[in-house]
Amino acid sequence: MNGERAQEDPAASSSGCSESYEFSHAAAKAAVAQVCESVGYEHFKDPALESLAGFALQYILQLGKTAISFANLTGRSQCNVFDIILALEDLTGNDDGDGGVVSSESCSLGRSVKLKGIIDFVNSSEEIPFSQPLPRFPVAISKKKMMMIPSFVEIGETPPGNHIPLWLPAFPDPHTYKETPMWIERASDPRGDKIEQARQRRKAERALLSLQRKLVCKISSGTRVWGDMDGVKEDEGELLRSVSPSISGEKVESLNRDGLSVVEAFAPAMEAARDGFCSEVDTEWKKKKKPDALSKLRTEKKFLGEPLDLSLKMKGEDRPLSFVRDEDRDDKRRRAEFILRQCMENPVDLNQL
Amino acid sequence: MNHGQQSGEAKHEDDAALTEFLASLMDYTPTIPDDLVEHYLAKSGFQCPDVRLIRLVAVATQKFVADVASDALQHCKARPAPFVKDKKQQKDKRLILTMEDLSKALREYGVNVKHPEYFADSPSTGMDPATREE
Repeated sequence: MNGERAQEDPAASSSGCSESYEFSHAAAKAAVAQVCESVGYEHFKDPALESLAGFALQYILQLGKTAISFANLTGRSQCNVFDIILALEDLTGNDDGDGGVVSSESCSLGRSVKLKGIIDFVNSSEEIPFSQPLPRFPVAISKKKMMMIPSFVEIGETPPGNHIPLWLPAFPDPHTYKETPMWIERASDPRGDKIEQARQRRKAERALLSLQRKLVCKISSGTRVWGDMDGVKEDEGELLRSVSPSISGEKVESLNRDGLSVVEAFAPAMEAARDGFCSEVDTEWKKKKKPDALSKLRTEKKFLGEPLDLSLKMKGEDRPLSFVRDEDRDDKRRRAEFILRQCMENPVDLNQL
Repeated sequence: MNHGQQSGEAKHEDDAALTEFLASLMDYTPTIPDDLVEHYLAKSGFQCPDVRLIRLVAVATQKFVADVASDALQHCKARPAPFVKDKKQQKDKRLILTMEDLSKALREYGVNVKHPEYFADSPSTGMDPATREE
């Protein structure tokens, strides 16, 4: 067959008004086309073929309907051959002029014109089986494959509510329709956390110390008077600007008292930072009474005071300008002690400086 | 009495012939597959486990389709061939099942499938050709 005939694959099923409609309709079209081909046709127009297939199906339906009604008339639910013969007669009508009267004799072979015609047709026409193998349809879903929702009894669940009988299908599990927030399991590692914390602290202190070292180098590189401290600070950047007045103020005071140069003031601190910070300071502490030691202490205090100040600055807190008085020295000393103790608790890797 | 006996004998003959015919149906495979026919019969309420009855319905439908198709073929052949320059082409007529032939054939069975005409030029458009002539 070629040309305009629209040959559809009977095995292909697409969505139609009902799921099996498309499939059966396509199969009927193929069968009708084969019959027409046996009659003598070579080509088909699709609308003509479709309507002829529709008529054939309507014929089958009408035949079945009439046959079952004849069976029901006699009190039977299943049809037999005579019902079909009667239905054939009823459907097409007799040519013998009875006026369409269906009598009890008409179902016999002798009277039934249609049946004779069919017999002749069977005897005369060629046997043309259907061209393609047709699967058994509608497809029966076996119970094993069928996803049946089990009843309450089968699951062993009690239905929520006395009004629900046990033989009804069970409700779906709550996790299918309820959404709860997920608990993200975080492995807590206290030791790891402590180590991480210590590492971060060390990093911060290292950064501060390196900054102070830079500051010291800058100061010590040029023979500068105290007055130039501001200039030095400007080189360092804005961060130190706010620090400078406080530092300069304090150091000016100390200088005025002791007459030490900046390098001398910072030298012990630098040595301490390089060698072993805490032990040096300890020895310094013992020499409290010496004015040098005092001044050194003071400068060291200031030096030590810097990290605190700088850290405060970094945090964004405003440190009020305060001039050093005699009574403030004790406070500063106490503060220095506290900071020292803190440093001792967290061993700083000063070798990296 | 004789008439009754004769009719009785005739009935026996008829029954025998019918039985024979149904048996022969098992050898004959109709073009319309059994599954399809059974599906549509089930749709209309026809329930029968006997395959022979299904085959009978299938054969009846096949005969019906064949009758309609042959009538349509007659109409197709009866139509005068279109004008061709070459005489050889005239005999080589393509037999195509068209809606026109089908509607003419089905009219005898009491089914109206006539398509409405595309242009309604005159008042007599769409009317029966017989009445139109009048």
